[in-house]
Amino acid sequence: MSKLLEVSDITAGYGDGPSILDGAGMEVEPGRVHCIIGPNGAGKSTLLKAICGMLKIRKGDVRLMGERLNGLRPDQILRKGIAFVPQERALFPKMTVRENLRMGGFTMRDKAELERRINAIEERFEILGERRDQHAGTMSGGQQQTLAMARTLINKPKIVMLDEPSLGLAPKIVQEMFGIMRMMADEGITILLVEQNAQMALRRSDWGVVLDLGRTLFQGPAGELLSDPRIQELYLGGKRAA
Amino acid sequence: MADALQILILGLALGGVFALMGSGLSLVFGVMRIVNLAHPALIIGGAYVAYWGFKLWGIDPLVMLPVAALILAITGIVLYKLVFEREARSAKYSEMTVLLTFATAMIVEGAIGTAFTNTQRVTSPDYATDAIFIGDIFIPTGQLYAGIVSLAIIGALALFLKYSRFGYAIRATTQNRDAAELLGVNVNLVGMVSFAIGIALAGAAGALVSFVFSFFPAKHWEWIAVLMSLVVLGGMGSILGTVVAAFFLSVIAAFVGAWIGSTWSTMTFFLALFIVLLVRPQGFFGEKPELS
Repeated sequence: MSKLLEVSDITAGYGDGPSILDGAGMEVEPGRVHCIIGPNGAGKSTLLKAICGMLKIRKGDVRLMGERLNGLRPDQILRKGIAFVPQERALFPKMTVRENLRMGGFTMRDKAELERRINAIEERFEILGERRDQHAGTMSGGQQQTLAMARTLINKPKIVMLDEPSLGLAPKIVQEMFGIMRMMADEGITILLVEQNAQMALRRSDWGVVLDLGRTLFQGPAGELLSDPRIQELYLGGKRAA
Repeated sequence: MADALQILILGLALGGVFALMGSGLSLVFGVMRIVNLAHPALIIGGAYVAYWGFKLWGIDPLVMLPVAALILAITGIVLYKLVFEREARSAKYSEMTVLLTFATAMIVEGAIGTAFTNTQRVTSPDYATDAIFIGDIFIPTGQLYAGIVSLAIIGALALFLKYSRFGYAIRATTQNRDAAELLGVNVNLVGMVSFAIGIALAGAAGALVSFVFSFFPAKHWEWIAVLMSLVVLGGMGSILGTVVAAFFLSVIAAFVGAWIGSTWSTMTFFLALFIVLLVRPQGFFGEKPELS
């Protein structure tokens, strides 16, 4: 299968600080759910930020269908088809749900098409339609996460990157979030997922990537990672080796 | 009763001018987190543009207003490119911008003082000293016109922010800069344009101020605390809050000036600043500060 996104041996960090990623890489194939796991501080969120252009890549390459993305701004990378929902959901609290959705299509020039897509999303996610005039900052955590994820669909992205979508949500709501993610994947959108609850995330993924100390240690089918006793022990709930 | 109504009208008329003076400061803080201590000095710059237009060519300051706004907007772009753009990613951005805007205020004051001396000036079109009488109540036409024009400009700004594509980008950047960038907003361009709009508002306010107050280059030091109190009371970065605070404090200051003494009138703004910081630091419409 051809590679949609290739991250090759990248080094990146915050500002002038030390490199958080040092030798991180992964191969992303279209239509799959890819889960990035690893301990706290492994560089999982940093990897997503580097891919979407929020952090400067110091070494290595990020390529989307062969095109090099290094040095592009987040808005340019979004236009290439990579959307990112960070941990804090990136909503505009004093804008209404409708305005937040409109911001999702900020790069679109065809206003009529944008309104059509927003209407379609409001029909699909009923809660967003019901609360279209409500300020996003006054909604519950689950509703905010639904809005953040649904908003990425406006741009019809090739890849959606989700950083800890379950953070701070009740278990029932977490299941709903994973349901939305699966639905996106079923529609052909490639998912890159970072999730603390690695067991649960891997069970819902096709491909797993293990990151530790800023570098990629393993990657392979999620099922294989789940059944690998070494991965189980080190990263999926067992005690870490000294 | 008639006295109270008279004071209320004078306070409201002045409130409109203060609202415009503070709006640019609020916009620049909201989008870029710059506490622009040079804002009142740039208002003085706008006042001089209107003054010389009137003095040399007899052009009405209201006609000079767009010229002052344009000249100051260009000044804003130059300032942004020279001074603030390179600091945008600095870890000490907030501290640096306070120092840089303070230095800018000194430079603007020095430049204007050198060019035009420290003489008190005032633009004097006929309406600046005229008044409309409604029974026993008089409304100074200068303040009335200035207030109406201020509200018209703020209204236009509000419509621009609410409905235009670039207005969406400015509001989004104000609320969540990273999110705006992720969704395709060129936040650097938004920063520069917002800064230019903020300084253009200073220029427009200057043209109005030129016939409402007498002014001289160092006058801006009197205004910075007044404008900061409006912005803090309104909620840092909230233009609506600044407008409400401007009317609220101007009316209170007018009553304090009439009933207690004019010296205490200005103190109203400073007192409000202290009380707000103690009781409700987020102001009328600002975000509650987080403990972490």
